[in-house]
Amino acid sequence: MKTGERVYRHSIVARASHWLWTIAMLVLVMSGLQIFNAAPYLDASDKSDPAKRVLSIEGGTPTGASAPLGRTTLFGHTFTTTGILGYTSDGAGGQVARAFPGSITLPGYQSLADGRRWHFFFGWFLTLALFAYVIAGLIRKDIRELWLTKRDIAGLIPMQLYYLKLRKEPPPHGKYNPLQKVTYLVVLFAMMPLIVLSGLALSPGVDAIAGPLVSAFGGRQFARLWHFVFMSLFIVYFVTHMILVFATGAWNNVRSMVTGWYRLHDGDGVGV
Amino acid sequence: MKRRLFVATSLATLGAAGCARVSNALNESPIHGFLTSAEKWNQAAIGTRGLAKLYADRDIDRDFRVNGNATPTDSAYGALAQNGFHSYTLIVDGAVDRPQHFTLPQLRAMPLQTQITRHDCVEGWSAIGKWRGVPLATILAMAQPKTDARFVIFHCLDTDEQGAKYYESLNLHQAAHPQTLLALDLNDKPLDTDHGAPVRLRIPTQLGYKSAKWVGRIELASTFKAVGNGAGGYWEDQGYEWYAGI
Repeated sequence: MKTGERVYRHSIVARASHWLWTIAMLVLVMSGLQIFNAAPYLDASDKSDPAKRVLSIEGGTPTGASAPLGRTTLFGHTFTTTGILGYTSDGAGGQVARAFPGSITLPGYQSLADGRRWHFFFGWFLTLALFAYVIAGLIRKDIRELWLTKRDIAGLIPMQLYYLKLRKEPPPHGKYNPLQKVTYLVVLFAMMPLIVLSGLALSPGVDAIAGPLVSAFGGRQFARLWHFVFMSLFIVYFVTHMILVFATGAWNNVRSMVTGWYRLHDGDGVGV
Repeated sequence: MKRRLFVATSLATLGAAGCARVSNALNESPIHGFLTSAEKWNQAAIGTRGLAKLYADRDIDRDFRVNGNATPTDSAYGALAQNGFHSYTLIVDGAVDRPQHFTLPQLRAMPLQTQITRHDCVEGWSAIGKWRGVPLATILAMAQPKTDARFVIFHCLDTDEQGAKYYESLNLHQAAHPQTLLALDLNDKPLDTDHGAPVRLRIPTQLGYKSAKWVGRIELASTFKAVGNGAGGYWEDQGYEWYAGI
């Protein structure tokens, strides 16, 4: 295997799963922001409690102000965020008091009922797609490509040094480098389950059958806060993922995730 | 530099408007009808099982937030409230063998259940209250539903500004859940008119909009299609799920 050679890099299971997750997460984040708008604040407690408010995104005209303002309060620090958060687009060309703007919610206009329909459908969709990946991956043994080998564990720090430009060559690795493996494992098997479980913990029906789950997150409102935090962490992952996809050859990467075929660059590994 | 900023801002605005348009179009497409299928899966997976968490006295919100509408503006309701609900009767009829009607003193004379439970609003907030009332199962046992009765429909004394009457419905399984109450008191006081006086439903295993306030009549029926716009409740008629356990 050498630079420039075309290799079949991503199996049909990996490719199909990747795009199903992408669609699901796009819809879930956008409809989730729509749902957030109905009660645009997050409390670190079981029931709603303004004394334990961590985040609030409000819009309105404060006394003494001449025009409506959007104001975001995080840990007691208030920022004016007019036009971005709090007082934003209504999804129909106007400006209204709403936490997240119509451009990033699903639907664009404010509708809690419709946002919930999207969110729950794609909640199932994501959960089933994750299970399907694990089952198909175990049967076809594709999932092995994420397992950390002894060589990967030894390569964790050298790979980090390489990313920090403190090392010229990446350590020897397979298709995925050790840090990629750790990232994908954490996203798939920690972040995703936590996102789904913290979402379920918001439901009174789930509370009645799985009370300890709600308690584990610190109660219903706290679970709502965690659900938002995990979503935010996912966004951080997503942005990083995009940066790295572009930095390492956007076309080659996207093509390999569509057709499976990838052209090897310097330093790329193959196999598990 | 200013020009570049202008271009960037224009592009961002166009992009944002485009996103909203795409997501609105998606929402109004046939896909949206398909999305509602998730409600059936939610009901099958979660349903009405187990018991809602019970809280301690110190957890109670003394100033319990009013959900939905405040005091009804209906003149008939106003007249009832004026005389302290002395002339109020709760009617239980429809597909039952023994139709019932109860005055407030009759309801208060029944074995009452007290529960300190959390009210979870569909909007995302929650509050904890101490509810006392008659288990709905007691009322149903007295009325004896006929074999074709599948739903319990709650007709309320409240009409909104558009003329729509508030109503709700549960299936018999949800209605017979041991924590489903016809609440008379909130936080050791008779319900006030904002919180559903004199009788409201209290079902802690589902979202707040199921807990209909100002209940005047309980009807058992094989279907709820004939009531309101046919979706089984005031908010359900506006697109919210009939199964509100999630």
